[in-house]
Amino acid sequence: MIDCDVHCAPLSLRDLEPYLGEYWREYVDGAGIRVTGFTAAYPPAAPTSARPGARDDGGPAVPNRYELLRGRLFDSAGAPSRVILNCLTGWEAHRNPYYQAAFASALNDWLRHEWLDRDERLRASIVVPTVDPDDAVAEIERLSDDTRFVQVLWPARADAPLGNKRYHRLLAACAERRLVVGIHAWGRTGRAPTPSGFTLSYLEDYLSNPIVVQSHVLSLVGEGAFERFPSLRVALVECGFSWLPPLLWRFDKDWKGVWREVPWVKELPSTYVRRHFRATIEPAHLPAAAGQVAELVEMVGSGWLLYASDHPHDHGPGAERLFEVLDEAAAAAVRAGNAEALYPLLSK
Amino acid sequence: MTEVQEAPSVREPRTVRLVDADIHPAPPQPAVLSRLPERWRRHVERFGRRMPLITELYPRASNGGMRVDSWPETPGGFPGSDLGLLQRQVLDEYDLDYGVLNCLSLLDCHEVPELTAALARAINDWMAEELLDRDPRLLGSIVVPYEYAELSVQEIERCAGDERWVQVLMPGTAFEPLGSRKYWPIYEAATAHGLPVAVHNAGYEPHLATGWPSYYLEEHVAYSFVMQSQLLNMVCEGLFAAVPGLRLVLTEGGVAWVTALRWQLDSAWELLRDEVPALERPPSEYVRDHVWFTTQPIEEPEDPADFARALEFAELGDRLLFATDYPHWDFDSPTQALPRSLPDEVRAAVFGGNAAALYRLPLESRT
Amino acid sequence: MSTRFVVARLEDFPPETRRIVRVGGREIGVFRVGERFFAVRNRCPHQGGPLCIGRVFPRIVSDEPGSVRLDRDRAPLLVCPWHGWQYDMESGQSYAPGDPHVRSYRVSVEPGAGLEQGPYVAETFPVRVEENYVVLEA
Repeated sequence: MIDCDVHCAPLSLRDLEPYLGEYWREYVDGAGIRVTGFTAAYPPAAPTSARPGARDDGGPAVPNRYELLRGRLFDSAGAPSRVILNCLTGWEAHRNPYYQAAFASALNDWLRHEWLDRDERLRASIVVPTVDPDDAVAEIERLSDDTRFVQVLWPARADAPLGNKRYHRLLAACAERRLVVGIHAWGRTGRAPTPSGFTLSYLEDYLSNPIVVQSHVLSLVGEGAFERFPSLRVALVECGFSWLPPLLWRFDKDWKGVWREVPWVKELPSTYVRRHFRATIEPAHLPAAAGQVAELVEMVGSGWLLYASDHPHDHGPGAERLFEVLDEAAAAAVRAGNAEALYPLLSK
Repeated sequence: MTEVQEAPSVREPRTVRLVDADIHPAPPQPAVLSRLPERWRRHVERFGRRMPLITELYPRASNGGMRVDSWPETPGGFPGSDLGLLQRQVLDEYDLDYGVLNCLSLLDCHEVPELTAALARAINDWMAEELLDRDPRLLGSIVVPYEYAELSVQEIERCAGDERWVQVLMPGTAFEPLGSRKYWPIYEAATAHGLPVAVHNAGYEPHLATGWPSYYLEEHVAYSFVMQSQLLNMVCEGLFAAVPGLRLVLTEGGVAWVTALRWQLDSAWELLRDEVPALERPPSEYVRDHVWFTTQPIEEPEDPADFARALEFAELGDRLLFATDYPHWDFDSPTQALPRSLPDEVRAAVFGGNAAALYRLPLESRT
Repeated sequence: MSTRFVVARLEDFPPETRRIVRVGGREIGVFRVGERFFAVRNRCPHQGGPLCIGRVFPRIVSDEPGSVRLDRDRAPLLVCPWHGWQYDMESGQSYAPGDPHVRSYRVSVEPGAGLEQGPYVAETFPVRVEENYVVLEA
């Protein structure tokens, strides 16, 4: 079993001290920046922030030390053979490009030394600065010898759609190094988080992620990213998947009428989406009726899905209900086969 | 001006078979200006619009956004401004019993309150005089200055006594999300008068969340995202609990996406219901009770049976209203657009029965 | 059983013009594009729109995002005035790059056959210049 979405995060500046230069340590300390950042995505006491029992070991919900994760994920039967760590720290509204770059490097070094070095089953996403795509490319290049980084993390709530021209250098770097682009729920705060404006409730904020991520799907296809970078692959992480069939129906139909606007899109949009994207299964957001779950999975295709626990987050029993309708072959694919096919660096 | 037919002669009473829930009339600029008070006419003549049209941000890369054959021959005429053409190409062509007019002219208008209200009155008066009065098959949506709730309520009250106004029109994007309390008086007034509220994709879209897309293709597909996020907002703000009789018609935003939204809402509500005590039941039930959808642009999956499946998932058989979206380019033809895979009784409901029930149309057509 | 119809004298049919003629109960658009002639049924197979009043566009070749080249060597595309779907004016096949329906259709319509191949092929007809006359076979 390959777990494609597990979270870790530094708890305080102390965790990052060895990896952040003196000027920036002073900057963080002097400005009173909380390294845990703005926690609107998973407020510590919110129901979605931690499964029951996740904090039984006395640690924070999102583990800041390898030992905590080992105890929670690896010390029982059915432990995953590989885990992809996604660290969402530092995603918020920081605009200072140099701080972003320094902070991202510190996080990646922390991931390497405090996590990846400790357990060969662990892999990670590279945290990249988002303000300047060239800084993101530089960070990818800095880490290019370390193939334990299998993915580049990108926030769903962003300053521009990911297929936009300005990001093509970044997409090129990912494709060249066989890094999957992982677009993960939540992200850049500051802009209103939905197309229609600010959300007042957590429920609405939380459920906006599946809607928001679809704009990046449109953009990556419409801007010809997959024509330019045919080997590019994208994982949609923590954004659900049950929205897929209606999106493809609409995207294909609209494209047939306006393809001349984007003549570099040479295949049906749905062809690109099925070939180049995959989605993790937590949250699942499934119909209540088991029969409908089976029909939905048939329309989405079990080959499109990636197992993830999304530790420590709690989205309810969706993933378990998904497995109830999968036959053995499909279950094996979702548990590991699809991830192995998607992440070329995973098994190295 | 294309020749206008006389109102169709009296025919045998018959069941309402075909209602078009989304036709776009376009008032000619002089017709609106001439109905404004002098002070506001002068203002518009001197300063024009403050906000760009969405077509100026994302040019409609397909036939300029309109059916090519819907341009009237009158110089300066715009698709939807000519009643004769509208009769010929839609009402008569498809033998409609009724057509609902949604005038989009005010939906991306951001002006001072009094001017916006004056424009709303002028547009509604134009529709009444030039369209509703001249063809009994036509029904109208009341255009309101939606950012100003009190002025909107006044306009609803001015129009509501005339039964040819069958709903109130709101934009797909406004200054605040549509579930905001700012707009509740509009929903309350509409409901008090027995009028549904139609939400139609339009309005100045600031493309928050992920930033500006580059192409019309993206913008057009994203209309369904706007609609999803608005419905999500209205549910989460407790709007349906606050206005229990509210009926919404989500217009031109697509249909099948509501399957996933209902599942998302119900799954998340299981975990988070303490935060939203106004939602006493699974949220999908509020969607089911309060929301109707127009069909256009109808989704066309490769396997038409998938569309029927989506309708079943989302319990839409009695909530779907057929619409052509005349004269826009992605117009749906009544004879062609609805998949034949749908059972006959569903087709009949979608073509006319659901609209007749929603808008309380006389079961026998007026003519 | 197809019949031959004289549409016009060649000199009366300038380039970049079209005529819609009524033949045996059907409307057929006859187009002159440069020195080539095409004839297409005036009915879009998608939802029945008046195909032949649509724009005529050349094909586009794009090697990468932002790069666009017009390809006038191949048959032009007729754009339906309703949903903008585009049809190869020679074969009638609906054209959107990579549309899977394109691959499965035969090119020509045999006399009397009608639209058998599937939903998205426009009916086309042979049209030639014979001794200064534009002749349609329909």
